[in-house]
Amino acid sequence: MNVRAVTTDFLLGIVPIALAIALWQAISSFGYAPVTLLPPPGLVFQRLAQQLFTGSFQHAIGATLLRLFAGFSIAVVVGVGVGLAAAASPAINAVVRPIVRVLAPLPKVALYPAMLLLVGFGHESKIALVAADALFPILLSTYYGATMVEQKLIWSAMAAGTPRHQILFKVVLPAAVPSILTGCRIGLVISCIVVFLAEMITSTEGLGHLLVTAARTFQAVDMFVPLITISLLGLILNGLLQAVRAYLLRGFPEV
Amino acid sequence: MIAGRALLSRSAPLLACLGLLAIWQVAALILKTDSFPTALEALRAVPSILGDKESLINILASLRRMAIAFSVAVAVSIPLGLMMGRNRYVASFFNPLLMITYPVPKAALMPIIMLWLGVGDLAKMLVIFLGVSLPVIYHSFQGARAVEEKMLWSGAAMGLSAAQRLIRIVLPAALPEILTGCRTGLVLALITMVTSEMIARQSGAGNILFNALDMGQYETVYAMIIVIGAMGIGLDAAFEKLRSRLVRWSEPGFDIPLSFA
Repeated sequence: MNVRAVTTDFLLGIVPIALAIALWQAISSFGYAPVTLLPPPGLVFQRLAQQLFTGSFQHAIGATLLRLFAGFSIAVVVGVGVGLAAAASPAINAVVRPIVRVLAPLPKVALYPAMLLLVGFGHESKIALVAADALFPILLSTYYGATMVEQKLIWSAMAAGTPRHQILFKVVLPAAVPSILTGCRIGLVISCIVVFLAEMITSTEGLGHLLVTAARTFQAVDMFVPLITISLLGLILNGLLQAVRAYLLRGFPEV
Repeated sequence: MIAGRALLSRSAPLLACLGLLAIWQVAALILKTDSFPTALEALRAVPSILGDKESLINILASLRRMAIAFSVAVAVSIPLGLMMGRNRYVASFFNPLLMITYPVPKAALMPIIMLWLGVGDLAKMLVIFLGVSLPVIYHSFQGARAVEEKMLWSGAAMGLSAAQRLIRIVLPAALPEILTGCRTGLVLALITMVTSEMIARQSGAGNILFNALDMGQYETVYAMIIVIGAMGIGLDAAFEKLRSRLVRWSEPGFDIPLSFA
């Protein structure tokens, strides 16, 4: 794509966002909605900028990020491990496949009360929920990535004298990396969403909790701030993951 | 032997369900805490929930909201996704907006939407609508983008207008991918429904679940988890059946949905 096309794309993409903000501003400045219901965008962003430098808000972001990363890391380790194992061994596959079939469409939020009762109201229950929700996309894409590895690659590695037990880590895993990263990307967005929801349902800290406390006291401005923050966090994390992807896949042909 | 094997592979999900329930039962027997009843105790509480008129009406009302919101979302998202897939300008118009809204938890909009629309059905349906539309748009977009150009050229050569090409060539060609999106959307609709009811706490299945938790009726909590879980698995299996009939001609893709919240 040439520079001009990229600029057109960029400008076109800005339009709906600008329109949305303009509409938002218009509704509140023409008085269709009282400030208590829909605060003007200027006020919300000003509040966001102001909040970002307060200790309590940073603490909330920290708590949310901690839970997000803990849950996401568990999901990556378990998902990639089980996915690879299922792809490598038909016996494991026969056990894992039906269980995943049953558990994947199960709404994991419904398990949240059970997690609360079993592991407590602290960090652990939120981390468990994030891990449970992010696990399946990562597991499935690892599995499909690993089963799609070209047989020729494995044969050449064997012909070159790679021991059987090393093929999994030297050939299959690297070849499955693009697919695994796609799964991680879905899992990451899910983690963002789930951690926020879990904090909204029961929590004493974190961004979701901020939204709930603001809602209880009808502080509309403070309700928008955590939502915008989680959206920004999602975008930043997504960008970081893209950078990791670009680094890991630097030797790959077009992906 | 072949029949036996087919039977085994067909009943494997059922066996997995039984296995998970058995693990639950054993774990509960070992832990022996009040807040973790055994699987049998929870299963025994299921009929009393479904038999209770008020909770049944609540659950059915939840499902009705979900069905309406899901249908509207699908009806809006598929045309939008297809147009994005076929037209670069439409795609670059909507893509950044969708990217920004993607990581926002839709159910978290519940408190704000409640301020505007009240706690009624409309607010809940709007939230479900928002949750369902993104994956459906995304998959329709991907599906429409992958349509072979040659087919469109032949269509144009035979005198089909742009709108006709969209309906008669792009829609069928993208159908497998669209249905994958709908399947994700369906699971998502259920998740958003439960979560929004957990947050709004006024009626519905999510409300029953969390009220039971607050009142310490642990058997009801676990029974509700079983009910909601069964809904998820049942809806997904039903949709998969429908999908495999509609697009029997296409090679099977992911046979497990990449569901998410």
